[in-house]
Amino acid sequence: MIKSIDILNYLSENNFELSTGVPCSYFKELLIELDKSADIQYIASTREDEAVGIACGYFLGKKNCFLIMQNSGLATIGDALTSLAQLYEIPLLIFVSYRGLEPDKTFPEHVIMGNVTEAVLDAYGIPNWNMKGENWRKILDKALERMNEDSSVVCILVEKGVII
Amino acid sequence: MRGEEVIASLKEFISDDTLIVSSNGNVSRQAYNFLPQPQVYLRGSMGLPMSIGLGLALAQPEKQVLVITGDGNFLMGLSSMTTIGNYKPPNLKIIILDNAIYATTGGQETVSSTVDYLKLLEGFGIQHYGSLNSIKSPSKLLEAFEILLTSKQTAVLHINVEEDIENLENIPWQPKEIKNKFMEKI
Repeated sequence: MIKSIDILNYLSENNFELSTGVPCSYFKELLIELDKSADIQYIASTREDEAVGIACGYFLGKKNCFLIMQNSGLATIGDALTSLAQLYEIPLLIFVSYRGLEPDKTFPEHVIMGNVTEAVLDAYGIPNWNMKGENWRKILDKALERMNEDSSVVCILVEKGVII
Repeated sequence: MRGEEVIASLKEFISDDTLIVSSNGNVSRQAYNFLPQPQVYLRGSMGLPMSIGLGLALAQPEKQVLVITGDGNFLMGLSSMTTIGNYKPPNLKIIILDNAIYATTGGQETVSSTVDYLKLLEGFGIQHYGSLNSIKSPSKLLEAFEILLTSKQTAVLHINVEEDIENLENIPWQPKEIKNKFMEKI
């Protein structure tokens, strides 16, 4: 389990000043901490592709924004990724809740996307890491290194209960 | 007035501190051809110019951010106006060029003519907004630009325009080049 405040401190130390996205219950605690944060502002987007637009605009203004969304949002952001972020080589860090696994067996609406989440990310050509356990800082280090080196979109998958 | 004439008329209002986000298709091609370069010329991501403008306005609060979008693009990204109405960055201005068609793709009709833009923008909580028919009242255009671009609040100007005669050539810069040139000027 990873404390929300530790993640936000890490992101703040890595020069993220803004965040945006659409909530998932897996990120409930993280969003509560974000609301309290003096270092990172959160913009409540109405759609995940809008959030990609905001983050890309923020980057063009020379500042860094990370994104939060459910894996259902991966279906919504296809054009925003391929014809904006990836096309213009804009680096983006996206935290995606990994819905549709065992804890979601009573939520059939998540199951199909859960089954194809990693395949969808691979199809988009987005490097992705499942963040859990004690080595989460190393995973984020690796993701940010890849994002900055390649000016690319990277994704961190977050299963239920991982961020508290 | 045609859309390209309206964009060309903006030139005298654009300073080095104005950052323009222009929507994909004809609008960005016209911005590229008729306004000072470099700016953000979108090649795709239909519906997102207002969101990109919001992000840019938040990152660069000391600069004026001007989004120029067609009506089809604006309507696709309509929900993002809710977010803009909520956060209200005072340095964000939006111009909607409404020719009521998808001009770049061959002139198919949009549903824009059904919208009452003044009521819509008021409903989004936009603080400063206006609507101008440049076909009926072309002489009021420059005054409307002046009001929009000197506003101390988030401001939106909807302009009815005539259809352009032809589509311009694609912008020769590659997207990565657009990004790099734009970021170098900030």
